[in-house]
Amino acid sequence: MAQATDLDRRWIFLAMGVLVVGLFASGVSSPMPVSRYVSDYYDTIEALPEGSVVMLSADFDPASAAELFPTYQATIHHLMRRGIRVVNVATWPAAPPYTRKAFDAIAPAYGREYGTDWVELGFKPGDDVAMAQIGQSIRTTYPRDDRDGTAIDQLPLMSEVGDSFEGIELLLTMSAGYPGILEWIAQAGGRYDMTMLAATTAVQTPDLFAYYPTQLAGFCGGATGATQYLQLVANSAGTATIMDQAPLDELLAVKEKNQKRMVIQMWGHLLIIALIVLGNVLYFRGRKAVA
Amino acid sequence: MKREIPIALTVICGLLITWAFFSPSELSQAVNVELTAWASIFFAVAFLLGIGNLVRISLKQISARHPDWPYKALLMLMLFGYLSIGLLEIHGVIESEYGDKAYQDWIYERIFKPLQSTMFALLAFYIASAAFRAFRARSMEATLLLTAGALVMLGQVPLPIAPPEVGAFFARVQGFLMAYVNAAGQSAIIMGAALGTLATGLRIVLGLERSYLSE
Repeated sequence: MAQATDLDRRWIFLAMGVLVVGLFASGVSSPMPVSRYVSDYYDTIEALPEGSVVMLSADFDPASAAELFPTYQATIHHLMRRGIRVVNVATWPAAPPYTRKAFDAIAPAYGREYGTDWVELGFKPGDDVAMAQIGQSIRTTYPRDDRDGTAIDQLPLMSEVGDSFEGIELLLTMSAGYPGILEWIAQAGGRYDMTMLAATTAVQTPDLFAYYPTQLAGFCGGATGATQYLQLVANSAGTATIMDQAPLDELLAVKEKNQKRMVIQMWGHLLIIALIVLGNVLYFRGRKAVA
Repeated sequence: MKREIPIALTVICGLLITWAFFSPSELSQAVNVELTAWASIFFAVAFLLGIGNLVRISLKQISARHPDWPYKALLMLMLFGYLSIGLLEIHGVIESEYGDKAYQDWIYERIFKPLQSTMFALLAFYIASAAFRAFRARSMEATLLLTAGALVMLGQVPLPIAPPEVGAFFARVQGFLMAYVNAAGQSAIIMGAALGTLATGLRIVLGLERSYLSE
């Protein structure tokens, strides 16, 4: 017992640091088998007719971007490639810079135009109340877009979207916590019978299994789900007509990076399991010595 | 009156929202839309109140030379600095050749993003340390928790160092634990929490629950 508590925790920090940095430098990567949850996320988007309108909510910030932004980028590729149009909102104040950057980089490469193929409504304060308000009246909630203050009825895409999610086929959220997927399910999924998909941080993922597949058609959980979805989108990228190759090359690079991250995560998990075993061995030895 | 007015407002708003939830009439929906819009405005105003409170506490600590005063000073500098730059850029007082919100974007990309990402990434180190110190198989429940945690961790990642069958085995075990054991527990918790929320909501609407008034 005494040995376990005496170990300076900086040795543990050092071990984890060396492991992560060393593996990043080594560049070892590994593909992942795709789970049915991620497969359903992909298939639900694939099943949408071309020209459908979806709402994509960015409910994350930089702290969780490492887990969620790759899925966000891959989702935009997937939607734009399939000619699905996007109403883009955010319930976290730090999300819009990510969303704008991602859409501006990816959508034009597929020949998509702002206003016709995607709109950027931006952040709305109010958490679940803001979600309920979007359901009641998207025009009252967002009279103008977040890009340059255009009245949303002047945006061609919004002429096809009524209030109370009319005209919106699917609701997707990239959710890092509160407010996020659970609040969207309560405020939109249940009340307006919306089909929903989510990408969540690993820590939030266990909450989702109780909602799958009735309230949630599919989900990408943490870096694991992101890697699996990136594989699916990147592997089917060859079927797309793309006007600018650069964003697609970036997607392939993101997929490679995530596959490297999964190997790092594997060693990190093994280190944690080894530390748990070591801690318990020292604990029981100490107890035996005391007895 | 300090007690009665807030309770009356809570009861009236609670009843109106409940009425709107069950009634499709135009009047109830109009009231619902109006009240939700008010709630949204209150949220925005709460940001201002929060900033006001933060400034008040920080200035107090700076003037009292509290041990944390340099951090508070930095907080104030960033708060008002970012706000000022945003306002000056929006009104075109300062401009950059790199775009409309170039200065704000620079602060967001170069300071805010790396700082917040770093804070979250530090969790990996603390979890490793906590795993060593705190996860002890002291009881049957703790042992089950530890074992389930380890199995889920192994099923969550690819295992290129092991034969494919081993990776597939851990993935199946992880899938079973998450889809059945975890989902069953989560469903029970969700139902319990929903009933609790309903009961608390009713108590608030009926004016029986007054803890939000610090009573």
